[in-house]
Amino acid sequence: MRWKSLLLLMLLAGCSKGPEADLQAIKQARSLAAEWALVNEQASQGKLTPTYVQSMREWLHYQLHTSSTSLTQPDSPYGEEIHALLTQPQDARAEELRARAQKLKQIEDSLESA
Amino acid sequence: MNPLELTLGIMTAVGGFVDISELVFAAKAGSQFGYALVWVFAFSTFGIIVFSEMSGRVAAVAKQPVFNLMRHRLGLKLGLVALAASIISNLITCAAEIGGVALVLNYLTGAPYPLMAIVITLLLISSIWVLSFKWIERVYGLLGLFMIVFAVALVALRPPWGAIARGFVPQVPHGLSTKELLTFAYFVVAIISAVMFPYEVYFYSSGGIEEGWGPKDLITNRVTAILGMGLGSLLGIAILSNSAQLFGPTHVDPVIPGSVALEAAIPFGKWGLIIALLGMFFAVAGAAVETCLANAYSIAQFFGWIWGRQKQPWEAPRFTITWIVLFALALAIVLTGVDVMTLVEFAILFSILVLPLTYLPLLMLSGDRKYMGQYVNGPIGKTLGWIYFAVITLAAIAALPLYFLTSGGNG
Amino acid sequence: MTPDSPIKLVSELLDLPLYDTEGVYCGVVDDVEFSGRPGKDLQLKALLVGPGAYAGRVPGWAMSLVKLVAGDRLTRVPLEKVRSIGTAVHVECPGRDLSLHKSEASAGKWMPRWGAL
Repeated sequence: MRWKSLLLLMLLAGCSKGPEADLQAIKQARSLAAEWALVNEQASQGKLTPTYVQSMREWLHYQLHTSSTSLTQPDSPYGEEIHALLTQPQDARAEELRARAQKLKQIEDSLESA
Repeated sequence: MNPLELTLGIMTAVGGFVDISELVFAAKAGSQFGYALVWVFAFSTFGIIVFSEMSGRVAAVAKQPVFNLMRHRLGLKLGLVALAASIISNLITCAAEIGGVALVLNYLTGAPYPLMAIVITLLLISSIWVLSFKWIERVYGLLGLFMIVFAVALVALRPPWGAIARGFVPQVPHGLSTKELLTFAYFVVAIISAVMFPYEVYFYSSGGIEEGWGPKDLITNRVTAILGMGLGSLLGIAILSNSAQLFGPTHVDPVIPGSVALEAAIPFGKWGLIIALLGMFFAVAGAAVETCLANAYSIAQFFGWIWGRQKQPWEAPRFTITWIVLFALALAIVLTGVDVMTLVEFAILFSILVLPLTYLPLLMLSGDRKYMGQYVNGPIGKTLGWIYFAVITLAAIAALPLYFLTSGGNG
Repeated sequence: MTPDSPIKLVSELLDLPLYDTEGVYCGVVDDVEFSGRPGKDLQLKALLVGPGAYAGRVPGWAMSLVKLVAGDRLTRVPLEKVRSIGTAVHVECPGRDLSLHKSEASAGKWMPRWGAL
């Protein structure tokens, strides 16, 4: 019987909602925002080819969208932060993107320490 | 020993060392844990050197490839299990490599990713059909030397060399939470898996037979394994160190393989970026070729088919059909739309689970006087081999629990 | 070791690779055939080469998978044709004389014979 309870617990854990379940998506979105900022910063300094910049922006946006749709609480503060990132123009200022990444990092840190 | 041949062999090994998994995990390791995982790269490289030297020696002395001898040692049933496990592991790895190359082509040309996956698969099939074994190795291995740009970038970034040097000392960083500790452990397992992928010894040993190695080539085998893989691993360590410098402080945990190319773009601009992307293209394409051929070698050797690229494709028809079909299957996996990073994760996971099955027969064969005569494992080789086997077995046991507990190293 | 000397079937013969007089790899010793009767000595009669010989050695479901990948061909190599047994089995004639390359020949029939350097 014990293994059945364990299996049930694992299934429940897999179906859980809330900030803890969304932590992965928050981390991913934070990193994607930071990568996006780095790409835009280097692009503004003329260090990247236009093709690479365009491709990277498209992939980053696609991955952000994936993170956003995987949220169990899309209307949470972090959900809104990620959504706000998605509405940024592709050539958004690096500082703006870094600020949003930093906000997500703070949410991430508070969830991890909770 | 022809010095030119030896130099080319070493350079080929250097350029062919890094694949998409090492690229990705080196960058992630550096961004998450700074220089603390350098020692794992060094440790794993030493392991692959030990086993590659063994597999090359078995090929040169017993004049039979590892999978043939493995079947005889393990018997049919266990041999079939080992074969099935290695096919699955290598197929997923091949798919990850094809996906990785397609991504690089997308970054270089802007052309759609699925189209580039089809184009690169056709290109790889054509190159194996047209080129002899030696030139398949040389083209991808030597052009993979563009990856040296990452090592040059490291020098240009003026890193804290002391911190990198300290990274070679086995360590676990202080002050990690339980979750971070588990993630660190996962990265240890993942790097061991990425550096010691099973396809490497199957390809290396079959390659030794393809090149007609004999006992006279044992020194070539040893020097190529040590210098080639040793120097090649420095590229992986350079990628890790660049990531520690550039990505860690900015909280970038590379989610997209293309971010790795920024390591060369930041110090060198557009030309650095282009050279890095070209290096990634050839290194990862070379790995796709190796994984596919390693699988084809294993299948053909196991079932007793004529095999080898030293023959014309039509002289080994079942072997030829096999590697073409394997490429098609790997492409099919890529075209399902599964993310390249997910494929990399699965490749790492399957490989570490299969590693003990791969290396145990090799250890037994290279220590068997019936096959090896006077070239049997010496006490140092035997000791190192068994130590590494114990380590990879422990890593294999820990891999799945760590994967689930850390969500694939994402914390 | 010659075919007349004592041999350990499992550790010294089964699953050994097979080579012909031209040095061509011809397959693997997948099973063996005995002659004899209950109460009499068993004599090794032939080597069986090809995945068709797996049937007695692996479960049925595994045999279905093997058949899918490698077919179920079986070739019989009479013991008289075996020259020596060591870390490999060497036969005393070209493999084609024993029909050991039939599957390769049929697989290669339609393959283009150009383009390779």
